[in-house]
Amino acid sequence: MSKHGRTVFFGVMAILAVVIVVLATPPRTYAIPAFSRLYGTSCSTCHLDFPKLNDFGKAFKDAGFKFPTDDESMLKVPPVLLGAPANKELWPHTIWPGTIPGMPPIGLRMNNYFQVVGANRGNFTGGGVTPPGVGFVPRTDFETGFFSIFTAGNFGSDIAFWVDDDISVAGANGNGGLGDGYLRFVNIGRFAHLPKDALTFRVGQFELDLPFTQARSYNITPYDIYTEANIGAMNALFPQQNVNNTFALADAVQGVEVSGGHQYGGYHYSVAIVNQNTGGPIDAGTNVPTATGGNSGGLGFFSDSNFKDIYGRFSYRFNLEHNAESRHSIQAAGPTGPRDHTYLRLGIYDFYGRSVQRFTGTSATITAREPFYRLGGDFDFGYHGVFNLYGLYMYGHDLNLLPVDGAGAILPLPLQPGLAVGFRNGVPATFSGGFMQADYMVYPWMMLIMRWDSVHSTADLLNGVTNFPFPFNTTRNRLTPGAQFLIHANIKASFEYQIRPQQSVTLGSNGLPIQAFRTNAATAGLEFVY
Amino acid sequence: MKRFSIVLAVVMALALAASAGSISGKVSGVSGKSVVYVDTIAGKTFPAPTQHPVMDQKGLLFQPHIMVVEQGTTVDFLNSDNVQHNVFWPSIGGDKKAGHNLGTWPKGEKKSWKFDHPGVASLLCNVHPEMSGYIVVSPTPYFAETDASGVYHIKDVPDGSYTVVAWHEGAKTQSKPVTVKGDTTQDFTLTK
Repeated sequence: MSKHGRTVFFGVMAILAVVIVVLATPPRTYAIPAFSRLYGTSCSTCHLDFPKLNDFGKAFKDAGFKFPTDDESMLKVPPVLLGAPANKELWPHTIWPGTIPGMPPIGLRMNNYFQVVGANRGNFTGGGVTPPGVGFVPRTDFETGFFSIFTAGNFGSDIAFWVDDDISVAGANGNGGLGDGYLRFVNIGRFAHLPKDALTFRVGQFELDLPFTQARSYNITPYDIYTEANIGAMNALFPQQNVNNTFALADAVQGVEVSGGHQYGGYHYSVAIVNQNTGGPIDAGTNVPTATGGNSGGLGFFSDSNFKDIYGRFSYRFNLEHNAESRHSIQAAGPTGPRDHTYLRLGIYDFYGRSVQRFTGTSATITAREPFYRLGGDFDFGYHGVFNLYGLYMYGHDLNLLPVDGAGAILPLPLQPGLAVGFRNGVPATFSGGFMQADYMVYPWMMLIMRWDSVHSTADLLNGVTNFPFPFNTTRNRLTPGAQFLIHANIKASFEYQIRPQQSVTLGSNGLPIQAFRTNAATAGLEFVY
Repeated sequence: MKRFSIVLAVVMALALAASAGSISGKVSGVSGKSVVYVDTIAGKTFPAPTQHPVMDQKGLLFQPHIMVVEQGTTVDFLNSDNVQHNVFWPSIGGDKKAGHNLGTWPKGEKKSWKFDHPGVASLLCNVHPEMSGYIVVSPTPYFAETDASGVYHIKDVPDGSYTVVAWHEGAKTQSKPVTVKGDTTQDFTLTK
C-alpha cells in the first residue's frame, strides 16, 4: 500500500474507532428520586418509563422542579428558610430570603450492560492487515456503565438548580465528568410584567434545548445524528476538505440561555449563546489565570476563539382534545383518571458557530475560521401517553477553507507547517440525517421501541467509513428494536438490537470501500436509581 | 293518660337499655389503628344511613387514611388538591365485580358512591400510585375504630350471639364468635 494510501486507510480507521466508541458509550439518563422523597410520591407522578417525562413531569420541570401550583402544600419535607419572608421588607439592608430543600435532593444511578456483537465483527481489518490501535473485539462483553450523582430543586424565588456528574472516575473503565450544572431563573419576565413563563434565564453548563434530549434519553444507544461530527474528506481522489469540526449537537455547552413557553402545550422557544469550541481542550496560558485556578491551574479555558456560537429553537404543541379546559390543563381528564394529552408538536432549530483551525504559516500562525450550521426540524405525536411517534431531521454545513501557498495554489492535506499563507473556499463539508422512533406502552411497566437512525455524510462517504446506497444513500443507518421493563418504579431492564445494513470499510486498490459486512449488536442493560 | 304514656316510654327505654350491651377489647400484634365490626346477622337488615361521610384527597394523601361505614352508606370523594386525582378500588372484600373507577374531577368538586357491598375497599389513585386509603364497609351498624393503642369499644349492641371481625391494614383479618350479654370483652391478636 502506498504512503498516501496508508495515511487515508489509518485515517479511516481512526474515524471508525471514534464512531465505535461513540456508539458504545451509553447516554446519561436521569429520574430524580430526590423529588420522590421530598414530595412522598412515586416516580410515575412525573415519569412514564423513567426518565421519559409525562405531561405533569414536563410541567414540573418547566416550573423550576416544583409543583406548578400549591407546591408548599405538596412538600412532605418542608424547605429550610435561609431568612424569614418578612426580611423582604428590609431589603437592601438584609439578604433577600431564600430556601434550600429540607433534605439534600440527591439521586444516584448505576447501570450495567451486556453486549453481543455480530460474528463478523473483526472483518474491518481487510486484507489481513490489522491497523495499530484496532485490536481484538470480543463477541460478548459485560460492561459497567456510569455511577452518577444528580441533584436538582428550587431555592425559592423561582430559582431552580441542576447538577449532575459521573463520579465513576478511575478504575477499570472509569469515566467521569460534569454533565449539566446550571441555575435557572424561572419566569423572570414577571419583573417586566411579561405574560407568565414568557421569559426564563439559564446560566452554566447544559445540554442545548434539543427537540429530544440525548443527555436524559431512555434509549441505550444515542441518536446517531446527534453524535455526528464533521471531519472533512481526506481522500485524494476527490476534492479535499480542510474541515475538522468535532462539535456534535449532543455536546454539553457553556453559556446562557433565554427561553419561554411550556413543553406540555402551546409555544416554546429558546435562544442560547455559548462557547465556541470545535477543536477540543484549550491550554491555559502560564500567565493568564482561569476562573477555577491559579496561573497554571484550574480547568483551563473552554473557548477556542472569541466568537460565541448561537442556538435557537421554536416549537408549538397542539393538544388535540375537544374540550378546551382539558386542552389547556397540564394533563387531560380521562374516564379512568388523568392522562397525557393527545398532541402534535412541530419545531425547528438552528445552531450557528465558527469552527477554528490554526496552522503554522510561512511567517506566522494563520487561522481558518469556518462558519458552520446545524439546521433542522422535528415532530412529536403522542396519544394518551400510550403511543409516541417522533422524529428529527438535521442538515449540517461547514465552510471549507483550503490552504494555499504564496502563488495561490492549493496545498495538499494534511497541511505541513510553514507552507501556507492563506486560504480559499473549497467544496463545503455537509451531512444530513435524522431519526424516527415509536414507543408503545403495553403496560405501565413495559414499553416497546422501534427506532430508525440515518446519517448521510459526504465526508464519511469519501473517507470510506461507509458506502451503502440504500435507503436514501445513507452512510450510517440502522434499525433498532427494543423493549424496556420496569421491575420496580426505580429499577429498569432494557434491551436493544441494532440492525445495521452493510457497512464496508475495506478499501480497494482505487481507494473506495468494498467488502461490505453487517455489524449487528444486541445490548441488555440493567439500571437503578435511588 | 299522658302520664301513663310517659311512664310507659321510660319503662321501655330502660328495658331496651337493659338488653343492649357493648363489645370492648384490644387489638394487638399490630401497631396503629384497626377496625372491629359485627359481621352479617342472618335475617337482619338495617336502614342505610343518610349522612355522607367525606373522603378527601389532599397533599397527595387520602384523608382519612381509613374510614369505616355501614353498608349502604354513600361516601363523597372530594379533591382538595390543585392536581388532578383519580379514585378507584380493584375490589371490595375480594369481589372484583364490586371494583370501580370514579374517574377524574377537579379541585373543589366531589363524586359520590354508595357502598352496597360489605368488605374492605382499597382506595388507589392511578396517577399517584403511592396514594393509599381504605373504606371498610360493615354489614351492620355495630363497628368501631381502635385508638392508636388498639383499644376499641362498640356500643349499643343487642344481647345475642355474633361473629366479630377485626381488620388491620396489611394483617390477616380475624373473626371470632362473641356472645354479647351486657358489656362484653373480646380481644384480638392479629398477625401479618
